[in-house]
Amino acid sequence: MLAKRIQPMFFQARRLYVELMFQVMGRALQAVSEIDETVQQEANALPEGFLFEMMVMPDGARLIVEHTGNGRFRYLGDSAPRAVDLSIQFKHIAHAFLVLSFQEKTSVAFANDRMLVDGDISRAIRMTRILNRLEAFILPKLIAKRAVKEYPENIHLPEKLLNAARIYLKVATNFVETVKA
Amino acid sequence: MTDKFYEFFCPVKVIAGKAALEHIPYELSGLAAKRPMIITDKGVRAAGLLDPVVSACEESGLDIVSIYDDVPPDSSKAVVRDIAGIYRSEKCDSIIAVGGGSAIDTAKAVNILVSEGGDDIAKYSGAGVLKHPLKPFFVVPTTAGTGSEVTAVAVIADTEKHVKLPFTSSFLLPNAAIIDPRMTLTLPPHITAATAMDALTHATEAFTCMAKNPLSDAYATAAIKKITGNLLKVMDSPKDADGRLELAQASTMAGIAFSNSMVGLVHALGHATGAICHLPHGLCMSLYLPYVLEYNLETIREPLGELLLYLDGADVYAATPASRRAEAAISAIRRMRDALYKRCELPRTLKETGKVLESQLDDIARAALDDGAIMFNPKEVSLDDAKAVLARAWA
Ligand SMILES: [Fe+2]
Repeated sequence: MLAKRIQPMFFQARRLYVELMFQVMGRALQAVSEIDETVQQEANALPEGFLFEMMVMPDGARLIVEHTGNGRFRYLGDSAPRAVDLSIQFKHIAHAFLVLSFQEKTSVAFANDRMLVDGDISRAIRMTRILNRLEAFILPKLIAKRAVKEYPENIHLPEKLLNAARIYLKVATNFVETVKA
Repeated sequence: MTDKFYEFFCPVKVIAGKAALEHIPYELSGLAAKRPMIITDKGVRAAGLLDPVVSACEESGLDIVSIYDDVPPDSSKAVVRDIAGIYRSEKCDSIIAVGGGSAIDTAKAVNILVSEGGDDIAKYSGAGVLKHPLKPFFVVPTTAGTGSEVTAVAVIADTEKHVKLPFTSSFLLPNAAIIDPRMTLTLPPHITAATAMDALTHATEAFTCMAKNPLSDAYATAAIKKITGNLLKVMDSPKDADGRLELAQASTMAGIAFSNSMVGLVHALGHATGAICHLPHGLCMSLYLPYVLEYNLETIREPLGELLLYLDGADVYAATPASRRAEAAISAIRRMRDALYKRCELPRTLKETGKVLESQLDDIARAALDDGAIMFNPKEVSLDDAKAVLARAWA
């Protein structure tokens, strides 16, 4: 509680940002899975009804998507209809913020022990690959290069589908610059 | 501000050198353990390696209450449950694992069951499930390679569901690792070579993959120096106890390095090949190491170049221009493989193993992409990349 009194605006803003980004990513995951073959192929190896969660420990913001079959994801918001099959958990909201503001690559965050995997590790790797692809899609190339290990060559997609996400991201990038300053 | 971050953890007491086994009774009594159970395999017993362990304990008036010597190479849920049953009925209070990766992993899993209760080890699968320290646990490695005595992981097969259950918790780490040169003195040449190459791979990947950090770097480089300085010596004179001890220590040091910084594509491919073609792990490591380093080369040029100092010595390092050191490091590893091939025909390509079909390469590539180790490879690996590395490693 002490920290909250010192920098209340910053902490509240960071929490809101993480919540917002989870929503952006959830919707974007669903959108990308409807149009991108690479994502569909990756996702198709997951069982139908597979529930994936990303959350902030101990009980913070979360994002839940379901694999509804044929490589398609459905965004379920922040509540799961049953126990999730795979959960990627950030140890602290500060770590979630680093990753979701694209200051730290997902794979680096794993390497740095920022998050834990609860569930099958090979599925976690599959989801990381899908998230990398997603980031490459929705981010301006310059930021995407910071967020993923390698920027894929074969990205072509209808611009308008992801415009909404990009608008959120514009807000997001401004936000990052403000809090970093 | 730096964006570097790392964690490093190794609470395992290392007891190494001449007459190290004789420290076991004292260490057990320090944890109030009086009724130890030994978990091992038939090979260890047949090689006579249990005798010095048992007599070291008995001479100090400490009776080994039970010996389970039937751990299979790929341990399963059922084996773990059976051993836990014996532990309970014999009222044991501590575990000594004597063996290689499988015996040690099995003992770690047994320790979970006898400490936490229940019969179904699958319940404890995953990361961070365990919240309490387990029973006193000691490891006596009999191969110089896996480093399992200092890793916080165990893998047990669920034979009904055909999946491998991973267990990760720092509570799996033993209280002590006892490294006695007597334990590896009789290791046959091809196992000596393959397990040492496993250790060399642990150190090399630890030093070049994504989670490298200053502390694991120190362990990795020291381990490499010990391996390159002693492996061929031991291959030529297997009874060289000093050389054996150096290799065993190198294996533990490489284990400390990689358990704190993870491994990469060599292990991902190796795990996949082991599962599909049933090749020994160390052999796969030796086989893939140079090809993966070549694949990663441009991402790891700097750290790999630094390793030349430990792989080939100060003179070669000084005489090699900085821009050529990474390539020279790979050449040094290739020369090591050629020297091992000459001494014990340790295969250098998939074809040389005689156990892999070219038609299996695609399956291996696909399985490697699902392996946990791939996450920490410094370069992103696509299916086509994995296939290309396998094609180069074919012949
Ligand atoms: Fe290994």
